[in-house]
Amino acid sequence: MAGSLSSPATQSPTGSAAGEDLRPTRPVLSWVLRLGGLLARRALLLAVLLATVFAAVELLPGDAANATSERGESATDLAQRRELLGLDRPVLTRFTDWMTGLPVGDLGTSARGESVADLLSRPFPNTLLLGGLALLTTLAVSLALGCWAALKPGGKADRAVSATATGVLALPEFVVAVALVLVFALWTDWLPAVTLTDADGSPASWQMLVLPVLALSIPQIGWNTRIVRAALADEAKAPHVETAVIDGLPRHRVLIHHLLPGATPTIAAGIATSTGMLLGGAVVVETIFNYPGIGSVLAGAVTDRDSPVVAGVVAVTGAVITGVLLLADLVRAWASGGRI
Amino acid sequence: MDFNRRQVLWAGGAIGAAALLAACSGDGDTSAKANAAGTKPKKGGTLRVGALGRASAITRDPHGTQANESDYLIISLVHDTLTTPGAKTNTAPRLASGWQASDDLKTWRFTIAKGAKFHDGAPVTAEDVVWSLRRLRGTPSGASRLPGIKAENIKADGPATVVLVSDYANAELPLLTRLTTFVLKKDTKDKEIEKAPGTGPFKLEWFRSGNARLVRNEDWHGGEVLLDAIEVKIFESPQAMANALLAGQIDVASNVGAVAARTAARRKDIQIVRRPNDMAMPIVMRTASGPFADPKVREALRLAVDREAMVKQVLSGYGTVGNDILGTGDPAYAKDIPQRVRDLAKAKSLLKEAGFDTSKTYKLLTTEDISGLAESATLFATQVREAGVKIEVVKQESATFWDKTWLKGDLYTTYWGTNDSVVFLASKTMVSDSGQNEAGWKNTAFDAAYRKTIGTKDAAARAKVLRGLQQIEHDASGYLLWGVADGIDLAATAVRGLPTLPGYGRVQLERAWLAR
Repeated sequence: MAGSLSSPATQSPTGSAAGEDLRPTRPVLSWVLRLGGLLARRALLLAVLLATVFAAVELLPGDAANATSERGESATDLAQRRELLGLDRPVLTRFTDWMTGLPVGDLGTSARGESVADLLSRPFPNTLLLGGLALLTTLAVSLALGCWAALKPGGKADRAVSATATGVLALPEFVVAVALVLVFALWTDWLPAVTLTDADGSPASWQMLVLPVLALSIPQIGWNTRIVRAALADEAKAPHVETAVIDGLPRHRVLIHHLLPGATPTIAAGIATSTGMLLGGAVVVETIFNYPGIGSVLAGAVTDRDSPVVAGVVAVTGAVITGVLLLADLVRAWASGGRI
Repeated sequence: MDFNRRQVLWAGGAIGAAALLAACSGDGDTSAKANAAGTKPKKGGTLRVGALGRASAITRDPHGTQANESDYLIISLVHDTLTTPGAKTNTAPRLASGWQASDDLKTWRFTIAKGAKFHDGAPVTAEDVVWSLRRLRGTPSGASRLPGIKAENIKADGPATVVLVSDYANAELPLLTRLTTFVLKKDTKDKEIEKAPGTGPFKLEWFRSGNARLVRNEDWHGGEVLLDAIEVKIFESPQAMANALLAGQIDVASNVGAVAARTAARRKDIQIVRRPNDMAMPIVMRTASGPFADPKVREALRLAVDREAMVKQVLSGYGTVGNDILGTGDPAYAKDIPQRVRDLAKAKSLLKEAGFDTSKTYKLLTTEDISGLAESATLFATQVREAGVKIEVVKQESATFWDKTWLKGDLYTTYWGTNDSVVFLASKTMVSDSGQNEAGWKNTAFDAAYRKTIGTKDAAARAKVLRGLQQIEHDASGYLLWGVADGIDLAATAVRGLPTLPGYGRVQLERAWLAR
């Protein structure tokens, strides 16, 4: 697929886009600087986000010491533990300490005395696997549906796909998840209802991934199908596409060589936005399917007022989302001729 | 050892798919009658058990805070406690085969069971037990786990005897050694805890993120273990756990709650294991001060509540009516004290006598920590309105509740899981100087009865005093105990020999076997 999405500059079949073809290529240095700037902006955004999360956990009633205490623990014991956890220091100091550890991969220590990096090292790859598969499924299915709908604008398929997509995108993940469990696990017994793990901490079989991936991707497929369809419709109004249609090229050829390349930036942006939604939805979906991911760690950490763990989860997911957004920016830049 | 509130955080209601499924599935038959008489226990098989827990709260330390059911289950199967909850007496032998008290009931001698060995073959010595108990005593909640027993008063006497000296006479001291007195080898380093050999019925094969596989300990001192292995699967939500059981991915859903039971009641291939007297959710009325300080007002509220309706609606019928005495599962529980029943007329006249201000609205504080707790408060408020008492239910976030309301509020809900001992709950929550005197209750007659109970060696004489203690509690304490919830496990039909004891009895899976 990627091969067909090459820059319009090399394949504009008519002279109509010649002006763009002649745009001068920017020097490499400038490009790197801009990329650096973009990275810095994203990093700053992440830092602000982390500070907000730290502050938000702080605002919840209670703190890690009493949230993880046992009934009957004395006030002295509590105070002692509070001191041990460093909770007696101002929140700003704790946040700064935590942030300065970040560059060397030190995510701090949880309220239960474990290294946060260790705590996240097992579930996070599982969540990435789930989110990654859901992202790929979303991309593949929404491209296919969007294109199918675009082949005959206003046709039966187009109307059916658009209506379904609108309906589906409004469904919360948990509704989809519960329905999937009911139909495919409890009624038909085709797929496992929950994910159980092996001795190595990963899902025991690939079938266990099917329902969680579907539950996550179905709402996003709805959303992205509409984006793909709309981007293709916009692109269809472009002069070179009209020319191609008048020239009598086959529909699929027009779609692949003339419509999709121009629509790529929009589609990339849509998919990138979905990454955040997918990782957010994973928290809910993981609970329903008992998936051994980061969602359960996050939920538990919020209950425990465990700021380093909450911030750690936000940091790693934030880094992934930032990475995907950056990638989408690059795809857009590449597709539209080198601008960042 | 004392009941940990977080241990039941996850015992809540299964909703969603499970409930939907209930609405859509087969006939209305109750649970399958799996435990057919005359079936001979069979050796072999792997039991897959689902247990609630949170990934963030996993602990491997037998003396740490076990907030997760899954952790507690795994630790209990690998390591033995000195004693264990029992059916006929509330304390039964485990690693300690017997115990004996001095005449003043302060010095207790525990004998280690013959043939008790660690998984690596080393015999269990008194030194190991002493080291373990002292380690337990040294944890942050050690003082409440072994109250009245200082670390230096735990000593070995010979290779097989452990001596515990209490600061005061305590006839029920062995009760304290039932729950988290897990025994490890002496001088086990903190780093080695996760792999440390236990003495329990199962050996740890692997552990990963709350999931574990345990294999039979052929050499267990407590008798033959039938299962080849137990696989423990951690679940974050009761709903997912119920789904896993319904889909046949696990064999037992441990402590899954009433909502899941209601669902499973319609399934012939699922058995519901009820463990009576598992959880009390009393309403606490402050006796020390405030609007409920007058005993007549408290009596009126006790008469205004419709206990049957509470059990039926709040617990879905999976429970029994309470009589305002905590410790309903105790073999010495006073069943002969007449059951208090609803009497609105008497309640009204008592309120009038006490000059209770019925024009005011009183706040009842509660949390959603466990399933049914907030619902119990709401239903209670509706019921007492018929006696003229206006109550507004205020739900508090868990941390706030335990910080601001617990032990301090005028009217609030609480919950306790150690329902197998009247004395234990009296010592924790009702004796004047108890650390968790939830109602601020001070009653000299009660204190005297308590002291006499724990100081009386003769069982018959003690039972008599204990009866008196319960009468005072029934008449005057700050508790309104409307009912007690069953603990509920769900299991596939092939599973036999599951524990039916309340509270911590639920983790004793060494007698379980599979009929398939």
